[in-house]
Amino acid sequence: MKVKIKKPTGGQVAIAILLLVLGILMSMQIKSVRQSNELKNLEKARAIELAEQINQLRKENVNLRQQIYELEKKIKEYQDSAASISKTTELLKEELDKVKILAGLTDVEGPGIIITLDDSKIPAQPNVDPNSFLLHDSDILQVINELRAAGAEAIAINDQRVVSTTEIRCAGPTISINNTRYSAPYIIKAIGDPKILKNSLEMRGGIIDLLKEFSIEVKIEEASKVVIPRYTGSLKFNYVKIKSEGS
Amino acid sequence: MIVLVVALLVGILIGLFIPISIPQDYSSYVAVGLLAALDSIFGALKSNLKGDFKIDIFISGFVGNTLIAMLLAYMGDMLGIPLYQAAVVAFGVRIFQNFGEMRRSILIKNKSFSKEEKNQ
Repeated sequence: MKVKIKKPTGGQVAIAILLLVLGILMSMQIKSVRQSNELKNLEKARAIELAEQINQLRKENVNLRQQIYELEKKIKEYQDSAASISKTTELLKEELDKVKILAGLTDVEGPGIIITLDDSKIPAQPNVDPNSFLLHDSDILQVINELRAAGAEAIAINDQRVVSTTEIRCAGPTISINNTRYSAPYIIKAIGDPKILKNSLEMRGGIIDLLKEFSIEVKIEEASKVVIPRYTGSLKFNYVKIKSEGS
Repeated sequence: MIVLVVALLVGILIGLFIPISIPQDYSSYVAVGLLAALDSIFGALKSNLKGDFKIDIFISGFVGNTLIAMLLAYMGDMLGIPLYQAAVVAFGVRIFQNFGEMRRSILIKNKSFSKEEKNQ
């Protein structure tokens, strides 16, 4: 092992072999550590990329909605111009407008009420289930049901038009309406006779009484003009077909 | 001595160019094992300088320490105790100690030191 010795002894050879193995292991380990760091960075980059993609898609969605709106305006123009051509098409168009109102496919306005519902502002107390002081899907459903029974002709929750396919469903801390999630407060607009609508909600033992028991924040205002937007969801039907004659 | 340095460099180069790396799961154990091996080498260099180097002690220490260190790290993972830290501390301290002794013996050989400086 002395520096003067030129010819390696057996011991030196053994040590050299061990060192060779050590060197191999060392560089392999260094490579492996580098790889793992790269992997971590890749994962981070992927998450950022996905977040960007989501934002991009959201923007695209907004643009596409705008496009739909514009195309529908065009259709309406064509229908109007067609209606001016003949009596038959005019009648058809009137029919179409009625159906559209019923289906919630047009923006509508009229007298009605605006109801604002919010979770209880009372601080949480021990031994009391905090859930009972929050708004649930069932509360909203009951309000909607009451409004319909009182003759509401158009209803929207947070500007989501309530149509025949609308779901009002608990989705964790939010409520899903037309497949869009909302958290409190909920602003429900309804068009109809304001007096009747208001009274139907406020009758003794009615839904508002029940909500106030749990100190849910309720505000009802009558309005001479309520604007309710159209249903913006898709109109694609995968299963339902119009029944053909004689089948 | 030159043979040893060459062997180490050749090993490093081989490791760099073969397309294999340590699997992620074993990476931490290998790291501890490498530390143990490094400690053995420093020990060998020191005893070589002092002139009481024995090949069998070196090889048994090199292989044994490496294996035990890896086993410790593995056991620690199993038991939920970071046992590998014991190996890191023990071998780390030893490496510095050996290096210090080597430094002293080399410097004392080359120059005549006063006793005061020797004890620093």
